[in-house]
Amino acid sequence: MTTTTMHPLAAKYLRRLEREARRLPRGERRELVEEIAAHLSEAIDPDMLDADALTVLDRLGAPEDIVQAERPETLEPHGLGLQQWAAILLLAFGGFLFFVGWFAGVLLLWTSRAWTVREKLIGTLVVPGGLATLPAALVITSSTTVCSGGVGQVHCTGGPSTIHTIADFVLVAFLVLGPIFSAVYLTKRAR
Amino acid sequence: MVAKGVGEGVISQLRRGVLEFCVLALLRDEERYGFEIVRTLSEADGLVTSEGTVYPLLSRLRKEGVVETTWRESPTGPPRRYYHLTPTGRSLLSAFSAEWVRFTTSVDNLLETGALR
Repeated sequence: MTTTTMHPLAAKYLRRLEREARRLPRGERRELVEEIAAHLSEAIDPDMLDADALTVLDRLGAPEDIVQAERPETLEPHGLGLQQWAAILLLAFGGFLFFVGWFAGVLLLWTSRAWTVREKLIGTLVVPGGLATLPAALVITSSTTVCSGGVGQVHCTGGPSTIHTIADFVLVAFLVLGPIFSAVYLTKRAR
Repeated sequence: MVAKGVGEGVISQLRRGVLEFCVLALLRDEERYGFEIVRTLSEADGLVTSEGTVYPLLSRLRKEGVVETTWRESPTGPPRRYYHLTPTGRSLLSAFSAEWVRFTTSVDNLLETGALR
């Protein structure tokens, strides 16, 4: 079934369900989504009034509750506990502690059950080293500056201590915004 | 109100415990498909708060071997999954039935009369 043949509210509901169900093992997820999709196709006509569709969806219940019912033992919400906060902060700022802090953040992230694998990958790869990566990169590249030249003319190569191309600017923006995005993303997605 | 809160807590626990046997009871005399089971249950007053949570229950019953499913063509759309009781399911249902009658008879008696008659 495609969402284009469904009532828009039903399609929206199903997308929410699919998102919530990502934390389930693939087989269970697929089966649950199929069952609910079948229910939606029986209960909601594509040209039903929005109010009636919403009534059906209310009776069906919240997607989070349905997914929770599938796996109550393993999916109790953890939310943002101590481990989750520590992971988020260390991933962002831990790099300043000779990167050891960042690795500690990675460890806390991956041993926590508050995030899916996909969310954890994003938290790790965007950006490795967190906010400390940019200063580190600047320090490393500026130390490769080589200057030579004679009287009146000093010519330096290497080491971007100034941003003078678009590519540099994009990279810097990424290294700064990436970790901030990651921290916000993990905070919002913690379950 | 405290009393109301306690009552609601107990009832929702009861509901959870008893719901699967209500599903089995629906399958006692005929096979039914998922949507049919869900809708019938939700028509019963006070049984189901969120229809969607019946589907994980059906899935669990299937995994436990209490019910089995068969796909059948539907006149109005995609194939439907029909549920029926296994022998295990049938004996579970009759065991529960007997217990339930005993249990509710005693409780009803006490609630109605304030004593054991």
